[in-house]
Formats: sequence, C-alpha cells, structure tokens
Amino acid sequence: MLPAVTNEAHEVVLRTNGLVKRFGSITAVDGLDLEVRRGEVVGLLGPNGAGKSTTIGMVLGLITPTAGSAEVLGRDVRARREDALAGVGAMLEVTSFYPYLSGRDNLAAVAILRGGGALSRIDPLLARLGLQQRGGSKFRTYSLGMRQRLGIASTLLADPALVILDEPANGLDPAGQREIRELIRELAAENRGVLLASHLLYEVEQVCDRVLVIKKGKLIASGTIAEVTRGGSSYFEIVVADKRRASEVLRGLGVKEIRETPSGLDVVADPERGAELNRTLASAGLYASAIVPRASSLEDVFMELTEPEAPSAPPAS
Amino acid sequence: MLRLLRSEIYRLVRRWMPWIMLALIVITAFVLYFLIWASVNAQLQAVKSGAIPAPPGGTAQFDEALREIAPDRVAQFGVGIVAGLGSVMLIVFAASHVGTEFGWGTFRTLLAHGASRGGFLFSKAVSLFLYAVIFMVVGTIAAIGASYTVSAVAGISPGSGVDLGQVFEVAAKSGYTFLPYMAFALAIAVWAKSAGAGIAAGLVVYFAEGLVATILISLNKDYAQMVNWGLSRNASALTRTATSVQGQDPSFATLPDPTQAAIVLGVYCLIFLAVAYWRLRSRDVTVGS
Repeated sequence: MLPAVTNEAHEVVLRTNGLVKRFGSITAVDGLDLEVRRGEVVGLLGPNGAGKSTTIGMVLGLITPTAGSAEVLGRDVRARREDALAGVGAMLEVTSFYPYLSGRDNLAAVAILRGGGALSRIDPLLARLGLQQRGGSKFRTYSLGMRQRLGIASTLLADPALVILDEPANGLDPAGQREIRELIRELAAENRGVLLASHLLYEVEQVCDRVLVIKKGKLIASGTIAEVTRGGSSYFEIVVADKRRASEVLRGLGVKEIRETPSGLDVVADPERGAELNRTLASAGLYASAIVPRASSLEDVFMELTEPEAPSAPPAS
Repeated sequence: MLRLLRSEIYRLVRRWMPWIMLALIVITAFVLYFLIWASVNAQLQAVKSGAIPAPPGGTAQFDEALREIAPDRVAQFGVGIVAGLGSVMLIVFAASHVGTEFGWGTFRTLLAHGASRGGFLFSKAVSLFLYAVIFMVVGTIAAIGASYTVSAVAGISPGSGVDLGQVFEVAAKSGYTFLPYMAFALAIAVWAKSAGAGIAAGLVVYFAEGLVATILISLNKDYAQMVNWGLSRNASALTRTATSVQGQDPSFATLPDPTQAAIVLGVYCLIFLAVAYWRLRSRDVTVGS
C-alpha cells in the first residue's frame, strides 16, 4: 500500500542523499544532496559534463547510482521505482517520440501507460502548449520547438507532483522561451515542484526560486538567486578615454581586479568605493564620462564558479 | 505491466510495418498459387501440343504438381509457403519491433514515464507472440483462399476440401518453430541496441545453423547427438510430423522426438528472453541509448 501523499505546501517532493555515480574511473556525480519542494522551481546548473543529466537519470531510475539514493514523495526510486515515478513528469534533454505517430497519438500512447485519467488531459495540454493545430501531424514533421512542446505536454499527463525539465527551451524562439518560462511559473503556482536543468542562465534567473550549481558532479553553490549572486564580485563600469593611465592610477588604490573593455575599464571593488574611484581619477586629471556600479549576474557567478582551473605549471627542471 | 502492453498494442496497430507484412503474405500466397498453376499448366499444354517432348513418366508429374494446388493439400503446400516466407518476415519484425525503440530513443522515453524494464520486455514479447499468431492465421486463410480460387480458375478438383483442423495444427506447429528465432533476434536487438543487428543475427542463425547441421550429419550420423540440441533440427522435428514430408530430409531418421523438440524450442525462447532481460536490467540508459 502506498504511503499517503499529501498536497501540503512545501512538502519535499524530491530528495537525493549522497548520490554518487561512477563510470569506470570517472566520477560523474559525487555525493549530491538536493531537495525540491512543492511550489518551488529549482535550477540545476553546471557546464557540459557537470553531471546534470546523470543526476536526472538517477532520479528517474534510468541510471543505477553507485551509492546514495533518490526519493520521490518519500518513495525510494530504486526500491519502488514505479510507485515513485507515478508522481513524476519528466522531459529529457533529447525529446524522443514515435516518428510514425501524430503528436496526439504519442501523448495517447504515454497516457495509456500512465493510466488514471491521463487520456482526458491530452486535448487541454495540446491547447496549453499551443499544439492543438498540429496535434494530428506526424511527430517526424515537427520542428525542434514543437518537439520540445510535445515533450513538456507529456510530462503533465500524469498530473505530477514533481516536474523535471532538462533543457526545455532548446530550439524555441524568444517568444516560445518566454511562454515556457511562464508555464514553469504556472506549474509552481499549481503547487508542483519543478527541477529545471538549463544552460540558459537568463531563463534560470527569471524562473527559479533556488539554484544548485554543480561542477564535476559536486555541488559547489546553492541557494536563492540573491544568495548565490551575493557571493560573486561587484564591480564598476568606468567609461574613460585614457584607459592605460586610468588603470595605472586605480591600481594604486589596491582594487581587486581591473579589466579593460572597449569603452573603458571594469574595476572590481567593493560597492562603497565608487566615490573614491571618481575622486582618484579626477585628481589625476582623468574625467570619467560614467562610473556605473554593477552587481554580478548569475551568469557572472556561474562563470566564476565553473571556469576551468588553470593548468598546473610544469615542474621546474 | 498491462498498461504498458495496452500502450504497445496501441502503437503497434498504428504502425505501417505489421499491416504491410500482412498484406504481403496475403498477396504472395495468391501470386505463388497462381504462378505455380500458370507455370505447370503451360508446360503441360506444351507437352500435350507436342511443342516440347514429354518427360519419361509422361504427364503424371505435371498432374501431381497441379494437385498440390487443390484445397486438400493446403496443410502441406499452402502452409509451407506461409511458413517459408513468414519465418523470415517475423524474424525481421521481431528485431525491428524492439531495436527501433533504441534507435528512436523511445525506450528512454517509456522508462522516464514510469515503465519498468521487465514490463518493456514483457509487452514486447507478448505483442510479438500475438502478432505471430495473427500473421499465421491470416497467412493460412490466404493460402486456403488462394487454393480455392486458383483451383476454381484452373478447373482442379478440390478433392476432399480443406481439413481446417489439420491445416491450423500444421500452421500452429510451424508458427511455434519461429518463436525461438524471433526471441533470438529480439535478444540481439536488445544487446546491440540495434534493429539491424537483430535482423542480421536472426537470419544468419535461421539459414546457416540448419545448413551446418545437415552437413555435419551427412559427414557422420553421430553428430546428430550434438546438432539435435540446436534450433533447426528441433524445428524440423516438429514440422516433419506436421507436414508428413518423410523422406525429403536425408537426415530424417536422426531427428529428435517431436515432444522433446517442442520442449527444447520452448526452453530456447525462455533463455533468449532471459538474456535480453538480464542485459536490459543491468544497463544504464543515457542520452546515447
């Protein structure tokens, strides 16, 4: 008998405990702990090969973990896979359906597999994803964007508590990407938990309540967008004509980093040092057309966190 | 598991391939019956008109060949046509039915929607079995129809007519002998994640294993002890009793007992399905698979 599943707000719908996956000598996921609650959108970020898809594969029981466990609605995915996945709708990175079936028939094939009223959700979902006109067309005639929409529609057939979306905006035009962002927020508003793996950091910044950044399979940062970006550096964008002299003068102030840009300099320094920078430049006869304080975006932080380590120096001979 | 089987059948009936195969077996049965009659009849008329010399036995062998078309010979001749073509078609279909799931990436999609690996294999095996039954029934009915049609056109006596019990018994036994080959093609398709590999391996075993067995027995009858545990010899043992074509097989006397043959073929089916399940169960399903 299944444990009672509540619709309680903030209920944990996905939890992984020390998830590890090794492929031979390569550790793809290394002791990953994560949680997704109802009503929140959690972004899973990382560079290519960081272990995002492997993590999702283990959550869905497609990949056997080397160690650790994943639970959906309190049900262990390995021990009770079918029960656990009854509450999950997942769209994988590559959307695959039967090419000889129409979009509607593909959804029907999944709905029959899902059972429990899923067939009655097909037409509303086709309409919700903007596919009602092309529902009868063969899947093989679909554009990449339409395939993504069909993939998202299939995740909602079972009215899931947890929705997992791996790169859902792949192949969508800007308007389509915006629609998907809105849809993801709607899913959270419907009290579902959403795990979103995406390379589109702007998309993640727009829709996610929390983000998890993984690198080489390890969790290296997590929290709300504000919490994660707070750890990144703030800087001043300075528009100045004589970049070389300005750089020399500011270097004497002990700022963290100076980067040359086409219009001037980006100076990494604490936010309260703006006036000091302005005064120092003016004292040296350098008048900036603009000094604009900038906070790090998620993209800046992501790049800082995930940039590859510099190769170690060769040993001295 | 039953929901997965329902989904499997839903998809199967919407695919062109199974319908094309059914159409082919029906058309082929009629075409072959007609061509055989046309060919034998043309030779018979040529002999009668003196255009070609009569063979040593006169026209009796032509008459006997035409008799094969009659409805009372469907169990031997018509089912033989269906079995000969059907075996190849069903091996191809079995490998395609499973292998395309890997090629299209839909195996991953099914699993992500909650299907179990055991359920996947179960639904594939059951739907293949059901299709093989339908294929043999349709093919056999087509052969009966072709026999009556061509006999009527050619003015051949229907004799005692079709013995439906005998015809369907022969068809069932023939169909049963295809199952291990289909299971083998399925197992290879699962192992290699490829329909092509399953088709190639299935057909090579189907054609080559029997040939090797026959050659070995012709070299030394003692080899029968060994090759009688293979697929082809047991399939022959079962269809031999079904079609009663004793004497056509030079190694006929060394064939295994039909009951033993049926058990051996059944065990082969289970072994191939178990291998497929073991491979499927232990495999990580990533983007490339």
